Amino acid sequence: MELFLMTITTGVMVGGIYALVALGWVLIYKCSGVLNLAMGELTLIGAYVTLTFYQMGVPFIFAVLGTLLVGIALGILCERIFLDKLIGEPILSVIMVTVGMSFFFKGIVQFIWGSDTRVFDPPVFALKPIEIGFLRVSSVYLWSFILSILLLLIFVAFFKYTRWGLSMQATADDETAALSLGVSARFVYAAAWAIAFMSAGVGGALLGNINGINISVGYLGLLVLPAVVLGGLNSVPGAIAGGIIIGLLQNLSGTYLDNYFPGGVKEIVPFAFMAVFLLFKPYGLWGWERIERV
Amino acid sequence: MRKRLLFSMLVPFLAVILIAGLCSAVSAADIKIGGIMDTTGATSDVGKDYALGMDEAFKWINEQGGVNGKKIKYTWFDYGYRIPEAITKYKLQKRLGSIVIMGWGTGDTEALSPTVNKDEIPYVSASYSAHLTDPKKTPYNLFFSSDYSTNARAALTAWFDKKWPGKAGSKENRKPRFAAVYMFASPYCSAPIKAIKNQAELLGFEIGPDQDVSLFALDTKSQVMSLKEFKPDVCWHGNTTMSVSATLRDAYGLGLGADWIVNNWGFDENLPRLAGEAAEGVMGATPIGFYGQNYKNMDLLVAAAKKYNPGVPQEKRLIRTAQAWGDALLTWEALKRADKAGDLSGAGIMKKGFETLVNYDIGLGASPITFTAADHRPTTGCLIQEWKGGKFQEVARVDLKQRWPDKWEKEWLGW
Amino acid sequence: MSSAWLPCGDYHENYRQDQGWWQSSFIKTKMILLLALVFIGIPFLASEYWVGVASMVGYTAMGALGVQLLIGYTGLVTLGHAAFIAVGAYTSTMMILQFPWPQFMLDWGVAYPLSIFTAGIVAGLWSVLFGLPSAKVKGFYLILTTMAAQFITVDFILTQYVSQIGGRGQAFSLPPGTIKIGPIVMDSEREIYFLMAVLLTLMVIGLANLLRSRAGRAWVAIRDNDIAAEALGINIVWYKLLAFFVAGFMGGVAGAFWVSNTAALSPEHFPFFLSLWLVGVILIGGVGSIHGAIFGSIFMVVIMELLQMAVIPMGDYFPKLLIDFAYIKDAAFGLAICGFVIYEPNGIAYRWWQMKNYFNLWPFSY
Repeated sequence: MELFLMTITTGVMVGGIYALVALGWVLIYKCSGVLNLAMGELTLIGAYVTLTFYQMGVPFIFAVLGTLLVGIALGILCERIFLDKLIGEPILSVIMVTVGMSFFFKGIVQFIWGSDTRVFDPPVFALKPIEIGFLRVSSVYLWSFILSILLLLIFVAFFKYTRWGLSMQATADDETAALSLGVSARFVYAAAWAIAFMSAGVGGALLGNINGINISVGYLGLLVLPAVVLGGLNSVPGAIAGGIIIGLLQNLSGTYLDNYFPGGVKEIVPFAFMAVFLLFKPYGLWGWERIERV
Repeated sequence: MRKRLLFSMLVPFLAVILIAGLCSAVSAADIKIGGIMDTTGATSDVGKDYALGMDEAFKWINEQGGVNGKKIKYTWFDYGYRIPEAITKYKLQKRLGSIVIMGWGTGDTEALSPTVNKDEIPYVSASYSAHLTDPKKTPYNLFFSSDYSTNARAALTAWFDKKWPGKAGSKENRKPRFAAVYMFASPYCSAPIKAIKNQAELLGFEIGPDQDVSLFALDTKSQVMSLKEFKPDVCWHGNTTMSVSATLRDAYGLGLGADWIVNNWGFDENLPRLAGEAAEGVMGATPIGFYGQNYKNMDLLVAAAKKYNPGVPQEKRLIRTAQAWGDALLTWEALKRADKAGDLSGAGIMKKGFETLVNYDIGLGASPITFTAADHRPTTGCLIQEWKGGKFQEVARVDLKQRWPDKWEKEWLGW
Repeated sequence: MSSAWLPCGDYHENYRQDQGWWQSSFIKTKMILLLALVFIGIPFLASEYWVGVASMVGYTAMGALGVQLLIGYTGLVTLGHAAFIAVGAYTSTMMILQFPWPQFMLDWGVAYPLSIFTAGIVAGLWSVLFGLPSAKVKGFYLILTTMAAQFITVDFILTQYVSQIGGRGQAFSLPPGTIKIGPIVMDSEREIYFLMAVLLTLMVIGLANLLRSRAGRAWVAIRDNDIAAEALGINIVWYKLLAFFVAGFMGGVAGAFWVSNTAALSPEHFPFFLSLWLVGVILIGGVGSIHGAIFGSIFMVVIMELLQMAVIPMGDYFPKLLIDFAYIKDAAFGLAICGFVIYEPNGIAYRWWQMKNYFNLWPFSY
């Protein structure tokens, strides 16, 4: 029972970070229709930028804020250089450009920061766990979870109540109508990328605090795909639920399935689950069903 | 217009590549040695320092006059810890005419072994897998250090001798519990598992389920929680420093309470840096002295590192530099002997070089090296050190041959 | 852009001529010259090293042809083709190393040729298994299922289970001399090259012929609009699965061929990167043309090879280049893909087509 509860707790907490990154993914898709396979590398960049700020002596919270600023700049830059020209191109071209971006970023990141694990030194969160009853939760996990939930709330509020957020929603809904009402589509696309970069950056910074940063943080970018598919590609609450489900699924399978299928189950289960899930619910939990006409 | 721009940039770029590529004829040198290193892949945390150290060692050797006056031309490539890339790079080395190859990982070294035998090229690897020590199967594979299986057996024995008597369980007269953590799919990590389990049985341990931790792992919570069910007294970690430190941190965070023994590639100066307080009391196999530790010849190594790579900060240098020197010095000695005998063919280097070494001491705190035509296990035991109170301290020097002479001679060769 | 303009004076009078194999005697001569170059020119004139590079080009092209069929002709985007190449390679290796062949068959060297064929079939069926969802999902969701195929096959089944067969470890060593075709032992670059050339030629002829058959027309119809195709009475599920089978078959044969060129086989030969690489190859070469797959393979492999060779002499002066070469390669590959997709979306094959037209219509190109 204790094992089960601890697995669930860890799963939900890691899932919180996944949800944050998944949210960034969904945003880009919703606003500009780009299926982004470079999300992992955005996370990686965020993690390393935060680390660099932190090693320069900037307090962690300001390092994260600095990462947000860098994220905005990079997001807009990416959109302008790579994706601006691809609006309306076939899905394959768009995906392959993001694949190309992911290779490019990965190469650059490794060239600059190397491939060995780096940790936040001195540690931001104490290594000693917090004990709640018999549950032992690392303080990193707890803080990351709280922080990611907080950010999720901020993002959701941004979409619901601010002018920019509403204009982004409008563009996602019907681009032509939004344009006719004076919303600048180019601005919306750039904003979507900036926000995605920001959420990925914060996700990366938090993940990096758990046990350090190395290139495998970028694997998150692939993991985020099952999460968004579960939720439905264009649903913000779906992305959050999907992220948490994937976190849970991973930890449950790591703890319980490992005895039956030794080795590597943890990494595979989200994808296997996704493949089967798609057969039964091709549009995810809350995705829009598209009706096709000839 | 944009297309024009792309082409006007692309074409000169390609032309430069083409010219540079075609001009790359390697200048003639007396003795060519090739290197296949990992500076970008899954083991680059330890591989980068090894690659630097190897380069420095050969520069230093050339400064000492090379092999009886002949200079060494050392060319190395990164292969990113991928077996296919290693095969490509091996072919490239063969084309460049290398007569000895300094290799790296276990997977690629073992995979290439049949080809190396056919080509008769001595292959000195940084993989100390015991599978490479039986000359009947792998006559051309060599290394300077105690093999992984010896490391594992020695580490477990040292823990059993020194730590177990102080534990609460030993007074209750129960069996000590042991579990292994490693990446199942990695040949390096899984190489000594059979041996350490055999040793655990020999010493009367209760053996728990293995846990799979990938070399790049950052999150090992679920593995540690599965371990917690078994409540081990001691765990073996068979990976490299990156994932070892992640596991140590998670074990510390979740309160596992077991001691850790670690294979040599997971035990270096980076471990306490990455794992922090979780590294306290971790024991590991050390084939050679730590960087700058007080051993014979270590000052030469440090001086060479400062001279040839002044850009790399001293505190970033690891025991891996010394390990590279171990392999390089071993090769140097063998080449000198073979050259004196006038036979620098592959078979000559083996028979007249390596296999004439008896209790050869390279200094640097390594155990003396012996190769015979029937047994390529370089040493009979291993030094176990421990991270305690902010520095590495010797725990025990375990000599397996002395302790189990029969098994050492008859049973334990080649796995 | 399917067919080039005909030179002055050549006229097609009926459909049969339009779809003809040798459209003019010039093309016939050209193809014969090309075959002569492939079978005689390269192996006997180029150095051993470049013959090896040519084999690599061939391997990439064989894999890329399957991807081209799926993406370029049927419109089923796949990001998991490396899995099927892997299945082929492993089937072939297991058959050679583990199957209890009678001694005389080993002596005659039929084990490997038989295994190539079996590898194709097995990989094809495996591909169909993961193509099944294509009956129900498409677009991005299909991409994700093919990605799942990659991870499940290579990272899980092959790495964790198949690799453990026959002892320990991750790689199957293929000791020199185990791979034989008839009396010929495949151990030099030239023999491997000839095997590649034969297989690739057969594959190109086979695929080109398939594409002018009923199946090929059905595939193109599905690519252009699957709902309309269904309305025309094409059984789209059957033809989609057929495309998966043929692509998987070609991938499997490519994998089985690659076995002869490596000293050992490990799951690392078939990473997710290879799947992306193959898609990159056809994007750079040109989507929807057989030429494209081959041009793309030549371009990518040769460029990477030259980059590698350029780094050797430069490594003495810039050691960082040598240490971090893998990253530079990654970044260059990424940029190349982005550049081609954005600025040259029709690929190299399109330029080739323009060039052909220019010469066909010369000097009166209006």
